[in-house]
Amino acid sequence: MRLTSFLHSDNFSGWAFILPYLIAFVPLLLWPFIQGFWMSLHEWNLLAVTFNPGAKEFIGLGNYIRLMGGDDIGWSLQPMWPFRLVVSALVVTLYVRSIRRRAVGYSHHIMAGLTLFTTAVLLGLTGDWYDTRFWIVVRNTLVFVAWVVPVTTTIALLLAIALNREGRWAATLRSVFFFSQILSVTVVTLIWQLVYGVRNGFIANVLAPFGIDSPNWLTDDQLAMGAIVAATVWWSVGFALILFLAGLQQIPGERLEAATLDGAEGWRKIVQIIVPSIIRTVQFVMIMQIVLHFQVFGQSQLMTQGGPGDATNVWVRYIYQTAFRDSEVGYASAMATVLFAFMMIFSLIQFWVTKRQES
Amino acid sequence: MNQRALPRWVFIVVTAAAVVWLIPVVWMLSLSLQPNELLSRTTANTFLGLVPVPFTLDNFRAILSIGDTPRWFMNSMLVAGTSTFLVLATSTLAGYAFARIRFTGRSIVYPLVLAGLMVPEQVVFIPLYVMFADWNAHNSLPTLALPRVALPIGVFLMTQFFKDIPDSLEEAARLEGCGHARIFWSIMLPLATPMMMTLAIITFLYSWNDYLWPLVSAQRTDFFTITVGLAKIQGNFAQSQGLGQLMASGVLASLPVIILFLMFQKYILRGIALSTDK
Repeated sequence: MRLTSFLHSDNFSGWAFILPYLIAFVPLLLWPFIQGFWMSLHEWNLLAVTFNPGAKEFIGLGNYIRLMGGDDIGWSLQPMWPFRLVVSALVVTLYVRSIRRRAVGYSHHIMAGLTLFTTAVLLGLTGDWYDTRFWIVVRNTLVFVAWVVPVTTTIALLLAIALNREGRWAATLRSVFFFSQILSVTVVTLIWQLVYGVRNGFIANVLAPFGIDSPNWLTDDQLAMGAIVAATVWWSVGFALILFLAGLQQIPGERLEAATLDGAEGWRKIVQIIVPSIIRTVQFVMIMQIVLHFQVFGQSQLMTQGGPGDATNVWVRYIYQTAFRDSEVGYASAMATVLFAFMMIFSLIQFWVTKRQES
Repeated sequence: MNQRALPRWVFIVVTAAAVVWLIPVVWMLSLSLQPNELLSRTTANTFLGLVPVPFTLDNFRAILSIGDTPRWFMNSMLVAGTSTFLVLATSTLAGYAFARIRFTGRSIVYPLVLAGLMVPEQVVFIPLYVMFADWNAHNSLPTLALPRVALPIGVFLMTQFFKDIPDSLEEAARLEGCGHARIFWSIMLPLATPMMMTLAIITFLYSWNDYLWPLVSAQRTDFFTITVGLAKIQGNFAQSQGLGQLMASGVLASLPVIILFLMFQKYILRGIALSTDK
């Protein structure tokens, strides 16, 4: 009797229903996550440990020091000072303005704090870094994100405004721009490698009749990153586009009509009415893309193999190389953990932004 | 919807942009339909190569009869199919429990599962690799399919869905003494069919397109998925069996997702909108 009532209890049913999922979740996500952190605290060589499971050594934060530390670390105003000055001034101005308007939330404090800390303090650090390549790939990843996100957002926003209307033609165009999104990274890189080809690429074919030689897009260290960025924008505009379209649907029609009657036209209407109405969606979509594009891997791996030199090598590719070419899985895990911490900051900002949207 | 919001020229510009947007894909398709000997001389034969004249199906015939491409295609089908089925099964069950059963521990387990949404593949792929290596389980189709089942996005979507179903639908059944299994099977699942379609389609899409995990897990060509296989043959671009066949492989690799896109675009859009709505 007690058994049957137990079998019919909510506790039993609840756990029985979630059990199949937990069988996948615990060993294949929760445990690897913890294990990854544990590995990052070890000197752990994949090959050595395969042959002798005892060949790993606990070194505490050693991997993190090797990753981010250096000798003779000092601080100076000099490195990149014009850039730091401009960004810091911009952040302070925006921050002060939003305080005056009483329009500050958690996300503002944190964004302002983080940006200021990074530009004023972190970028001023000097020294001989233990792992100079790490800083190169971090910089490349940041450059990649700093190009892809604003460009994608701008194009998607303009397209969304133009295509936010009924009719078959607009629907077809929406599908066209969304379509590239569903292709896999290997197909995208295949197509774009060919488009960029020096001898028989599409761009070269277009330029040929004018007697212009196509530059070598993917092996020129000035152009390679731009080429990858362009391919990525082509691939990912659709995602931002549909989120913006969803956001535009929320704007009450009267507001736009009133603006039209007041004579707001073209750019003025976009800048003064439409953008402010969906600014939250824009924020949200941008943060989302930042998190997404920090994980860039395939484009760099397949289109340029990180080259020329390390000009397009990115964070995840460096993790991949360290783990699977150099077999240093402990050190690679430390890199992955730092990447996670970095993305976590943006996820938290996103969480706060969404929360404020709801309230 | 604001019909007269923008002048006509905007629409013309956007249409032109759409044409440019399509060029790379149209070019790939067109090259895959031209003979290899021609492509080794020029890729701009008829109208910049965008029109497949002269036309041939030899490239498709070739990749389907020799080489590994058909095998990789089948691997991808099996992997994406298996993970889609398992994701649907586990996340409808778990979603129902999290949304509609009050059990001890729910308030701890559900937030834990949700926190998993923030953990990307790139952060766990090394420990996952080491774990499956310890079990000697690499180079097998289940290993390629299983890690996706652990991702919480399906559970999240189904929980949100089941939460919104009114209690009244359940109460009548409950009064007649039906247990959770019965309510789940005969009341909830029929209601959830459209949502399950959405989940199935986006899971299949993401699984089909996955690159990082099959890249590290499958080292033997027999167990490559089509994404990894395609990456491999574009790596030895110059020595490869020819541009036409390479492009044909690209077209073949995209075929299932293009079909899904043409048939179920609405579901895909809804899936993306919902899964970002955390």
